[in-house]
Amino acid sequence: MNCHEAHAQLYTFIDGETTAIRRLRIRWHLHRCPPCGDGFRFEERLKARVRQICRDEMPPELANRLMTFIREHDSDGSVG
Amino acid sequence: MADQATFEDDVTEFLPQLYSAALRMTRNPADAEDVLQEALLKAYRGYHTFHAGTNLRAWLYRILTNTFINRYRRKTRRPAEVELGELEDLYLFQRMGEDGPGGAVRSAEDEALESIVDEDIKTALESLPENFRIPVLLADVEGFSYKEIAEIMDTPIGTVMSRLHRGRKALQKALWEFAEQRGIAGP
Repeated sequence: MNCHEAHAQLYTFIDGETTAIRRLRIRWHLHRCPPCGDGFRFEERLKARVRQICRDEMPPELANRLMTFIREHDSDGSVG
Repeated sequence: MADQATFEDDVTEFLPQLYSAALRMTRNPADAEDVLQEALLKAYRGYHTFHAGTNLRAWLYRILTNTFINRYRRKTRRPAEVELGELEDLYLFQRMGEDGPGGAVRSAEDEALESIVDEDIKTALESLPENFRIPVLLADVEGFSYKEIAEIMDTPIGTVMSRLHRGRKALQKALWEFAEQRGIAGP
């Protein structure tokens, strides 16, 4: 596997959406090619960072408000 | 078949993440609340069509996504399909890694990643066109598999992958622009 082939599988690799054999081949390339290894690690960390940052807290009273809304619309909606 | 009587108990645990996803989709709390409320009511009314024991979380996200798309398209009348230009692999890494001060590439890469401001990450995600933002949100933030995203978006898996991959690159391009504006990156 060369760098170009590894790059083409970057996202399926970091998303865990590749086969076990391809995974091993990519890992072997990353082991042998430090620039690709660093690049892949960077992408993995960036993904983790996006996940960590882009979650917001729900306002504490919202769950109750939503469920009250559902209950109020229960009767005028579908027949139970 | 799922029972409406257990709806509240069944969905409560998913509300915080659904709210957060709605917020990233709509980009403001008032609209997020509206979209989530409408989606929940649809979910409640259609709960008898949900097969108990299957993927409730994905089912709820599918309703949320559809509700958002319907409302959003009505509201803004923006074309749904926005194309991004071609972007190279490892876009942000290539820039942040190379230009690190002192040339210590490996440690500079860690510092570069840490130097990205939290708020810029949210803004960058929210700046993506809808058809790229949703797959990135569903994969990176919500942790869904390609197959689940394809079902949520009612899109072939190949389309999900190409939008996700290009959306991520566009996210990196936006992050790089923000970093440059803040004077964190660049010469």
